[in-house]
Amino acid sequence: MSLSSLNQTPNPTGASASFVVHLPTGGGSEVSVLAVAGDWTVATIDGVEEALAELGAAKGPGLAVDVSALGRIDLAGAFLIDRTVRGSTPSDNLNTPIHLIGAHPSASRLLQTARAATQPCPPAPEPGSGFLALVERIGRGVEGVHKESLATISFLGETLAVMGRLALHPQRMRWVSVVNVMETAGLNALPIIALLSFFVGLVVAYLGARILGDFGADVFTVELVAFSVMREFGVVITAVLLAGRTDSAFTAEIGAMKMRQEIDAMRVMGLSPMEALVAPRVIAMLVMTPILTFAAIIAGLFGGMLVCWAELGVSPTMFFFRIQEVVPTQHFWVGMAKAPAFALVLAIVGCRHGLGVGGDVASLGKRTTSSVVQAIFLVILLDALFALWFLEMNW
Amino acid sequence: MTDEVVVSVRGLFTRFGPQTVHDGLDLDVYRGEILGVIGPSGCGKSVLLREIVGLDRPEKGDIRVFGEPVLHEGLWADRIGVLFQDGALFSTLTVKENVEAPLREHTDLSSRLISEIADLKLTLSGLGPEAHHKRPSEISGGMRKRVALARALALDPALLFLDEPTAGLDPVTAGGFDRLVKNLSHDLGLTVFLVTHDLDTLMTVCDRVAVIYGGKVAALGPVEEVRAGATGWVKEYFAGPRGRAALAERDSEAKG
Repeated sequence: MSLSSLNQTPNPTGASASFVVHLPTGGGSEVSVLAVAGDWTVATIDGVEEALAELGAAKGPGLAVDVSALGRIDLAGAFLIDRTVRGSTPSDNLNTPIHLIGAHPSASRLLQTARAATQPCPPAPEPGSGFLALVERIGRGVEGVHKESLATISFLGETLAVMGRLALHPQRMRWVSVVNVMETAGLNALPIIALLSFFVGLVVAYLGARILGDFGADVFTVELVAFSVMREFGVVITAVLLAGRTDSAFTAEIGAMKMRQEIDAMRVMGLSPMEALVAPRVIAMLVMTPILTFAAIIAGLFGGMLVCWAELGVSPTMFFFRIQEVVPTQHFWVGMAKAPAFALVLAIVGCRHGLGVGGDVASLGKRTTSSVVQAIFLVILLDALFALWFLEMNW
Repeated sequence: MTDEVVVSVRGLFTRFGPQTVHDGLDLDVYRGEILGVIGPSGCGKSVLLREIVGLDRPEKGDIRVFGEPVLHEGLWADRIGVLFQDGALFSTLTVKENVEAPLREHTDLSSRLISEIADLKLTLSGLGPEAHHKRPSEISGGMRKRVALARALALDPALLFLDEPTAGLDPVTAGGFDRLVKNLSHDLGLTVFLVTHDLDTLMTVCDRVAVIYGGKVAALGPVEEVRAGATGWVKEYFAGPRGRAALAERDSEAKG
């Protein structure tokens, strides 16, 4: 057994920890002796932990520790020995003396260090459970919805006020950043939005061709595609995709800036985050969403046209001629009119959650999730309200 | 301190684009010593630390830890502890869970003992029990450093890397931190690789100082020797007002 004291020998795999308890002999010593042997380090003490716990549970007059056969020891090992010694007396307090037998270069010092650094620490608070906790959670959820709605509406008001101020002083607008957002958040989303809308147009036309065909009304497939893509699918697909792609990016960007105190730095420099970060995003979205919606409508119609051509033999010329003939332009404008409203919702929800990020990574994740969920929820809710209103207006 | 080499760096070359950071750097760290690494900002101190623990790969050169080449990070996970500059605590875990994490990963101890050892390490690092169940975002910068130290010490490592441990701390807290590191090094026989700008830390804690300048170790030895033979940047470093203040304070402490 090497008596090299510290946990520093090049070969970490030393002898495993072990111990023997010598009961009081009656003559020399009055207390039991805990004779420890082998290495007592964080890597080796797992073998003796359980046995020592049993030993400590049997209260007695205390223990002396024989360290003459002890190998390497570190703080974890010293703590375990100290804990056993403390536990062996009825009082189990931090004043229990440690009697060492034998010589060891560092055991005494480490035992003292471990003892000095031991203090009563509260256990982790238990998370609540049961019916009451459930009710409490539901209550918090309802209150949360209320608070979120208020916060979103007040943020909307704040944004509109800032936009109004900027309209009076257009030279304060950060046009470079507007164009930058237009490119990254809008233009770069064009291919994926067009592709998805194309597929949806394809699917709608295919369904129409099959189901209307059963009634011998397959010629109405053209109307089905035109109505649904222009009024609903073009704009809703654009908004949902932008919620997943752009709104989340707004939250993550602004949230990361918040976490790194960049927002605070802007504030003390007299830069308003509303003007510098939120307004450019809102304007860029207001410009880009209608353009993307238009692209989505065209792509959807194109998909429908391909199916009509292949399945029903309606030539592209016929397809567009029929749309021109039977579908009034107002349906196109109904779809396009919703785009700016959705754009505003997406930009505001994204920016608000970004600015609400706290100091840690977990809150960034939580905020990004709720940003996307809220944006999609609001888009669909608004769309339903729009549908009701437009139908009532006979548009 | 013995003459056993724990970390050896030979002929280290590191380049970032056109900028050469290390240009044939040699350095040995001996067992049981506290080696302070100083140098101007951007001289590659932190990069050297990252290369030794295996987070970055040098372009050329041989780095050995415990006598074996560093092939990848985490090779010596249970024998080295690293304190990153701003703590790098896991923000989804509480303070105490942060310290428990390496223990859970690398030992088979019971939850109770792991919890008690974590309490011990946190107390040792000077953190009161009221902070144990807070999140890293809810505590101050100085406390985060203490938690990070407790986490670095969780497995009683033989080799401890500290990247600017006292940066951003008030002088009193920083002084306490210095004493803590010195005592721990003494009690546990730790080898400490300490990157710092703090002259007080250098004077009070370090056994030897390595000055990195121009991609090489420009000076190496006990603080006194390095200071005596100082030229150029090193001389400015020690002769500046901060250097003189730190020296004066140490001398007055020695007299008192």
